[in-house]
Amino acid sequence: MGARPTLASLARAFVRYANVTFGGGSATTAVLHRALVEERRWLKPERFALIYALARLTPGTNLLALCTGVGWQLRGWRGAVIALLAASVPCSLIVIIVTYFFEQWSQNRLAQLAIHGAVAAAVGITVVTCWTISKPYFKSRHWLRAALIGGGAFTIAVVFVIPPIRILLAAAVLGLLWPARSS
Amino acid sequence: MNTALLYLVLLKATLTSFAGLASLPVVHEELVVQRHVLSDEKLNEAVVITRSTPGPVGLYVVSVGYFAGGVSGAIAGWLAMITPAFLILPLLRFAAGRAEHPRARSALHAVVVASAGLLLAAAVPLGLSALTSPVTVLIALVTVGLMLLTKVDTLWIIVGAALTTLTLSSVTPLLSL
Repeated sequence: MGARPTLASLARAFVRYANVTFGGGSATTAVLHRALVEERRWLKPERFALIYALARLTPGTNLLALCTGVGWQLRGWRGAVIALLAASVPCSLIVIIVTYFFEQWSQNRLAQLAIHGAVAAAVGITVVTCWTISKPYFKSRHWLRAALIGGGAFTIAVVFVIPPIRILLAAAVLGLLWPARSS
Repeated sequence: MNTALLYLVLLKATLTSFAGLASLPVVHEELVVQRHVLSDEKLNEAVVITRSTPGPVGLYVVSVGYFAGGVSGAIAGWLAMITPAFLILPLLRFAAGRAEHPRARSALHAVVVASAGLLLAAAVPLGLSALTSPVTVLIALVTVGLMLLTKVDTLWIIVGAALTTLTLSSVTPLLSL
């Protein structure tokens, strides 16, 4: 194991590796693993894997929970806060700037045409994300259970006007009462 | 919209989801359907913006916050995005051994699968507002194909889609997009 990192080097590492990747959390997780575990040796691979598994159980953006957990592991509370800020502030600023220009340009005809195409692609991306989220459950032995719960949630949301949060709570209760046999 | 209320609404969405875009159904229900502070188009644009900038997909709530309430709204969105991350600390300290408990895992699986179903349901109104011509339908289908079959970065898919509608409209002005 390498030496315990200073708060400044922790901040630098998360600014550099948690903000640069396109294409979502799993790509960034791979980048962070290489930078923090393989190159800097701040964490053992097993510890990183445990924090990653717990991050997936944490509500919200898994990547930010991963960074917070790693920061806490390395430098306690201050490490957690600094890792979370370093991982979320730079990319949020970029998003705010891009959103600002998006609003300015939305009056322009050429920009409107381009946005039209980009938004159509976003619909496709959203649909694929549904599959990415549920794929592991459909590939397990419990695919029928996954199909019933996922399909049920879809149908209820489309047909009836029920707030999504109630459907999620109902799914949690159903999951508790109807446990999948461990595979 | 009041910034504190916007924060609470977005927090409700991020706290009840376990992946970047999985919070979309709650955001759609609260801000588009109930409170009318956002249109389907704007919500779509927020997804496009965060898919074409670096960082996690969950960043779209920052963009949603900006559309709903300017810079202070964006800060509310950022806070709503980062608040749930702290929940990993009690998990890391106390619950490491219990995460594998069969019933806890089963409940989590059910929530994840239901959230995927809800996300698909939220894509229906987004699709109805965005897919208004054969070209846009084709773009959505090609996007699905590219994402499932290749490892092309979503940034390039979005850039390609934008260039497609841009060039097609200049080549064939009659084509209504």
